[in-house]
Amino acid sequence: MACANPVPKLYRSVIEDVIEGVRELFIEEGIEEQVLKDLKQLWETKVMQSKATEGFFRNSHPGPLFTLQLPHNLHQTIQTSTASLVIPAGRTIPNFTTTELVTSNSSANYSLPSGIGYPIHVPAGVTLQTASGHLYKVNVPVMVTQTPGGASILQHPIQQIFQQLGQPSIIQTSVTQLNPSSVQAATEKSQRLETILSQPTVLHPGPVERKQLENLATNETLARPPVGNEHKTTPELLLSQQPISLESPRYMNLPGAVFTPQASQTDSNGGPVVSVSGSMTQTLDGKRLSSGPRHSFHQQSDVEVLIFKNRMGENGALKHPRSLEEPCGLPALEEESSAQMDLSIQTIDDIKEIIQIDGTGDTSSNEEIGSTRDVDENEFLGIIDAEDLKVLEEEGDSISNEDSTTNSSDNEEPQIDIVEEDPLNSGDDVSEQDVPDLFDTDNVIVCQYDKIHRSKNKWKFYLKDGVMCFGGKDYVFAKAIGDAEW
Amino acid sequence: MDADSDVALDILITNVVCVFRTRCHLNLRKIALEGANVIYKRDVGKVLMKLRKPRITATIWSSGKIICTGATSEEEAKFGARRLARSLQKLGFQVIFTDFKVVNVLAVCNMPFEIRLPEFTKNNRPHASYEPELHPAVCYRIKALRATLQIFSTGSITVTGPNVKAVATAVEQIYPYVFESRKEIL
Repeated sequence: MACANPVPKLYRSVIEDVIEGVRELFIEEGIEEQVLKDLKQLWETKVMQSKATEGFFRNSHPGPLFTLQLPHNLHQTIQTSTASLVIPAGRTIPNFTTTELVTSNSSANYSLPSGIGYPIHVPAGVTLQTASGHLYKVNVPVMVTQTPGGASILQHPIQQIFQQLGQPSIIQTSVTQLNPSSVQAATEKSQRLETILSQPTVLHPGPVERKQLENLATNETLARPPVGNEHKTTPELLLSQQPISLESPRYMNLPGAVFTPQASQTDSNGGPVVSVSGSMTQTLDGKRLSSGPRHSFHQQSDVEVLIFKNRMGENGALKHPRSLEEPCGLPALEEESSAQMDLSIQTIDDIKEIIQIDGTGDTSSNEEIGSTRDVDENEFLGIIDAEDLKVLEEEGDSISNEDSTTNSSDNEEPQIDIVEEDPLNSGDDVSEQDVPDLFDTDNVIVCQYDKIHRSKNKWKFYLKDGVMCFGGKDYVFAKAIGDAEW
Repeated sequence: MDADSDVALDILITNVVCVFRTRCHLNLRKIALEGANVIYKRDVGKVLMKLRKPRITATIWSSGKIICTGATSEEEAKFGARRLARSLQKLGFQVIFTDFKVVNVLAVCNMPFEIRLPEFTKNNRPHASYEPELHPAVCYRIKALRATLQIFSTGSITVTGPNVKAVATAVEQIYPYVFESRKEIL
């Protein structure tokens, strides 16, 4: 008969609005998205449980969209392990057969159906792209579990560790957080990745270390790096040719993350390696600007010194990749390489021991502090009285009030102390409310009022924009008029 | 003849106003939020609390002064005031019931005859004042009792005084004068 019950819709919209509005605040505070999701869940379940409204059903969350990007070289591996791509899902089990993959082109994009249930087992070498556009390169087989109601995988705490990665981060690190069951596997992987990560920081773009790099990046197809000075010049070329790696110039790109998108772009051998070194130099340059995570600073500081030494040894006049359009603001290395080395060392020292000039280490103006303290104390004493009065007024503390009032009463009526005529006995002659609150009901109206009027004991209410809980059910109104007798 | 001084008139006390102090500061907001049957007049800084049993309305100030109105007798006024103090005590304030005083008593009295007001005014020059254009009643003040009587031509008299006794005395006093200027029904 009448139009549909507007209450559940209204409530749902309220919940949505609040959650959205608060989302940013939560992120600012550093609280995870998960907490927000939990809050929403809690809220909705409570509303449902209260049965205050009919037909309140939770929105079905659209599942997260995953786009599988299968790199070119995976097809062989896929063929060998067909099972790896069978994704065991809770509800639906999409099977990506190998034939499909093989027949598809080099970059195969698959969207996981929205109704897919977690956990998902993703094999190695797959690049995932979430609906939000984040790219995740999976180096090792990964278990992806779902954060209830959310598709965002990128978690903040993980970012701290892998800050150097920038955008392309690794799923499994987030999995570590999400799914304790796969922690073991994930931790291994993460450790391994961390070693991979840490290694480049220690390594130099020197001939010796190239081998080490080679050993490390086993998954990636690394060609042998070039030898000698080519190495120095090629960074310029490669870096200009591969702007992708410069995306997050100040960060160390994980070899894997960098390599894969460039897998199809391997212009020259040793491209991957050099890009690492290129990015290394970038970080070195960037270090001067004190950019980049502190985390890697100290590691890089050692690196820098060594690098400079190397460069000194190899190239007297070393040209940094000027083709880099990075606003490094470096002094010309050629001329002041030695000075730079000193500078670098000095900056390292500075960074390592940042002397705090102010605060507790302050030596000057002690007398001032002392004197101000005295003044403050005096002022404070003076303030106490005023504050006391305030406190007295605020809290209505009778004891302290009695003190103050006795003073006043003493002034006015020196004889009559607080003589209470017929002190109020605790409910002796003065009876309790013979009509105790008869209506401690739960029928509540929360609203705004236009006008409330009373004549003797006749009341008139003109209300607006309210919610009424009557008999356990919620009713919403834009206007309400009421009469009552007291 | 002289009017019978025995006044067998019904004097109806319609209102007794009293005040008392609680000797403690009162947090009006707390009273407004937690008290029952309260009206919070934040703009003037008062809380009205209405009681049912002795039908009284109390005006409460934060200083602890309370004015209690609506009682029909002095005893009832005191009773109501105490009950009010009791309820404040229950709210958590250290209330002490002191300085109870009946400030005003309003009573009505009905004469069995009508009164000629202009004549009455002429006879009772200093005490009576009559401005028919402003107010239809004669305002008769008895300074000694600090009582004021409003005498209407219908014979109805409204008396206000500091206490019930003064009111009663005032009615007794005015009766002969009113009787003089009554309107005889032939």
